[in-house]
This record gives sequence, structure tokens and C-alpha cells, in this order.
Amino acid sequence: MGNTSLGAGSIEDIAAVQAFYADYMEVLDDERLQEWPDFFTEDCLYQIIPRENFDRDSALCLMQADGRNMLLDRVQGILKTQKYGPQRCRRFYSGLKISRVEGGVIHTRQNVVAFRSLLDQPTSILLCGASYDQLCRSDSRLLLQRRVVVSDTEIIDNALILPL
Amino acid sequence: MEVVKSVWSADETASVPYWVYTDPDVYQSELDRIWYGEHWLYCGLEVEVPEIGNFRTLTLGQRPVIMTRNSATEISVVENRCAHRGTRLCWERSGKAQNLTCPYHQWTYDLTGNLQGVPFRRGIAGQGGMPADFKPSDNNLRRLRVESVNGLVWATFSERTPPFREYLGPKLWPQYERVWSGRKLRVVGYNRQRIQGNWKLMLENNKDPYHAALLHTFFATFGLFRPDQKSALQMDDTGRHACLSSVMGQGGANAVTAALPGYDASMKLQDPRLTQALKELPGEETISDITLFPSAILLQQVNSLQTRQIVPHGPGVFDFIWTFVGFDDDDAEMQQRRVRHANLFGPSGFVSADDSEVIQQAQRGFEMSANEGSALTLMGGRKVESASNMATETAIRGMYGYYRTVMEL
Repeated sequence: MGNTSLGAGSIEDIAAVQAFYADYMEVLDDERLQEWPDFFTEDCLYQIIPRENFDRDSALCLMQADGRNMLLDRVQGILKTQKYGPQRCRRFYSGLKISRVEGGVIHTRQNVVAFRSLLDQPTSILLCGASYDQLCRSDSRLLLQRRVVVSDTEIIDNALILPL
Repeated sequence: MEVVKSVWSADETASVPYWVYTDPDVYQSELDRIWYGEHWLYCGLEVEVPEIGNFRTLTLGQRPVIMTRNSATEISVVENRCAHRGTRLCWERSGKAQNLTCPYHQWTYDLTGNLQGVPFRRGIAGQGGMPADFKPSDNNLRRLRVESVNGLVWATFSERTPPFREYLGPKLWPQYERVWSGRKLRVVGYNRQRIQGNWKLMLENNKDPYHAALLHTFFATFGLFRPDQKSALQMDDTGRHACLSSVMGQGGANAVTAALPGYDASMKLQDPRLTQALKELPGEETISDITLFPSAILLQQVNSLQTRQIVPHGPGVFDFIWTFVGFDDDDAEMQQRRVRHANLFGPSGFVSADDSEVIQQAQRGFEMSANEGSALTLMGGRKVESASNMATETAIRGMYGYYRTVMEL
């Protein structure tokens, strides 16, 4: 199989993208939410979208932002205006593949699982799905210009508050 | 030891014993008297089944049903349960078919639920098969009464339910028609959530303007709903339905915002497009929130239009299914705006996620002391009357007035 298991990217691309997602997960799992928008370009698209919408080319999401400013509003909402029970969310991304590299844009695909831990309750699966992202380089840093998390989970257990 | 339920005094609607939200017998009686009784239940939109043969599966009360387009002008709703062995016939969410066929033994029904074919009905080589007196017409799928009202499809299990418009009542019909005028609709997309709470709590939540600016800091902070803006709470004559409508004001800090926890006049949206709306409907209302007892909430706010369907699963859990809707002639910009504004709603909504969270917390409170406490709805007094003051829980009392009659509780 040779290089095909690495997908379309070079070894250097794979290493850089893997490190990027490790940083991304760390910031979210460690609840450094204010830093989360820094992973995105100014004009990014961010979606957590139910598969039934994605499959019919509808853009209606669970959580959506077109532009980094809207991600900042999401952070402000979560930290200052929304009401929800104390919880921790831990994300597991796996099976990273660079599906193609085109015009300097790296297209990735990986599985996404998120677990939620609430007070007085056993940990449960919050969402299971896959992400289809596009990363570009800006001043030698990788940034997400598009992150689309497609949710296989048909029905959300109560609420999905924190980003993935 | 027999459990003694707390007493619900006659005619009391300003306090509701916790067991009304937790008792399995009460819940079973609600299914029989309310969900399968003389009430119209929300099924979906006509445009979800645009062509003959299009079908969509859904659940009414706890019963799986299939909504089909059986002719250019008619939509049918039949129970999704084969007359033979009770198997669910149709397993897909939606699709297109010429008839409805059970995967188990291939019994086939037409799109209105009439049994058309039973394989080997006459047996094989003269052996076996159905008895001679087997009548296909006695084995049709149960067909519900259906009304399609300005693009929304409603069904009822009862022959006695009055026509939909009469059921909604003349006071609320203008509010329904204002948003759902018959202008051709378009599905924007769906959100689904399961909430560990009693189904009535979601209706109560949408009948309660008292909580809106107190719980939802997002509303108050960004001026979308404040108790000092021009508002109206109307009910039908039975009290079971309500419409909360409101007109966004000028905003800014004053004596009212001083009483709102978390209100911070300095907080701004980095991207104001999240809430910037274009006027598209008659009237000045920026919010119209109709609770259509028992199954639906119809909401218009900013440029988000939604139907929200309640599907109960037991006394302590229900599914809440959001259909985000637009108009068929929306331009690309309006389509984008509706997608953006959906950020306020659904299981991740800046506003709505607060509601499912408090509903779960309320249910937890009820279940811990089911036969001791009562939920209070005394705001605005004990009467049931339309209101322009938002410090009121009158529409919750209205619903329980009707509920106690139909439940004989």
C-alpha cells in the first residue's frame, strides 16, 4: 500500500497536521476556550451539522459560524450568557487522513467522538461523527479555513454546548 | 405500603403537583385522552412530501406513522404497523414508493393504507394460505384524519376532533396565518434532541414570558427580548393554546435591565449578523411563539421560522424535533441568514439550550419529591386572561385549566 495509507500529504504535512490537531484538542479539552478562535482564519466556515442535513446539501447546523468573529461570539455566549450544568467534554479525533492537497490547502478527514462528563452521572457519548476540514498556511502556521463536523448522532442528548 | 399522592385542590391551576409530571398512570391517561384523543398533532410540511409516492416517517404521541402524498391534492397519514404481525413497515426516514410493503412477509398496502396484496394468500399448490373468510379490507392500516393547513400537515386519531381552524380558535388563527399564510415553504434543515423531562414542561416554557429575559441572558443583553418591550400573550377560549408575541425595543440600560442578572450593556456581538433581521412578515412582531397543544410550537424570531414537534416517550422524557423553515422564493442571502440565525435555537442554541437544561433540572426536582411538592405559577395572579405584562404565568394556568377538564384530574 506504500504511501496511500498516508493519503495525499507528505510526511512533513502529516506530522504538522497531527501536531495541529493535538494542539486544537488540548485547547478545547483543557477549557481554554478563548484561544479556540485562534485556530481559524478570519473568513473561516465552522459547522457541526447533522448528517440528515449534510446529505441533502442543507447548511443548517447545530452550531455554525461564518467568520472568526462569530466564533468569538460563540465563546462569549458559552462563557457569559448561556446556562448549563457543570460539565467536561473530551474529544477524540482518530484516523487522520490527508485526502488531498490543492493550491496549498490541505484537506483532511478523521473520525470524531466526544464524551461528556456531568456531575453525579456516568460519562456518556455526546456525539459521534467525522470531520472534513481544510487547512491553509499563514506565516508558516496552519489555520483552519473550514471545519465541518458531520454528526452521525441522530438525536442530541439534551444539549451540545461546547465546540468540537 | 401505598404511596399517598399529594392533593390537587379542585380548580387549582396556579400550582401543579409534581406527580402530574412523573406518574406513569397519569402519563398513560395523557396518551389516551390527549395524544390519541380529540387533538390535532403536528406531522410536518406539505413540501416534505412534494410528489405522489413521497413518504416520511414520524411519531405521533408514541405511535409510529407514515405521512404519504397519495395524490396531487391529498396527503395521508397511516400507522406504521403491519396488520399482520405488528411490524414497523417503513424503516426509512423518507423516500419515494408506489406502495407500502412490510419487509417481514411482503404484505403490501397502497399509499392510503389499504391492504392490496398478501403473498401466498391462496397457499402453495392448494395447500396452506389464508382461510377463505380472510378479508383484506378488514386488515388495512389505521388511517388518521388529516388536514393540511397553509402548508403544515396535522393529523388526529379521533373522529370527533373539530376542524383544525376551529380547534385553534379565532383568537389565535390570525397569529397562525400571519406566519403560515400559505406562501410556499422550503425546509432549511432539522435538529433533534432528547430531553429528560416531562413533555408539558416544553409547552409551559413557551407560554412563560417571565423566564425569557431572566434565564436567557443572551436575549436581554442583545435586546432580542426584554420585559419592558411591547408584548402580548393571547390564549384561545379553552386556554390550551397560546401565542406570545413581542416587538423588539430600542435597548439600552434602564430600571428593568438593572433587575436582570448578567445584563451587561457593554457586551457586544463581534458579528452582528447573528441577529440582524430583515422584515419579511406583516405586522411589527419580532417574536411570535405559538404553543399548539399538545404537540407543536411554531416560532418566528429574527429571520428564523421553525416548527418544533414534541414526541413523548414516558413521563420523564421527550424528543424535540426542530424543522427550520424558509420560503420557497428566499434568495441566497436570506437562506444564509436563516442558517446563521439558527445559532440561537436547537440543542446548541444561544437561547434554546438554556431551556432544555432547565427543563431537565425541573424534572429532577419533581422526581425527588413527587408526592410532596407543587410547581407554582402564581405570577400575574390566579386568573387566566390575556396579558400585555410579561411578569405573568397566566398561559400556563390556562393550559392546566383545560388539562384538568380533559384529564378529569
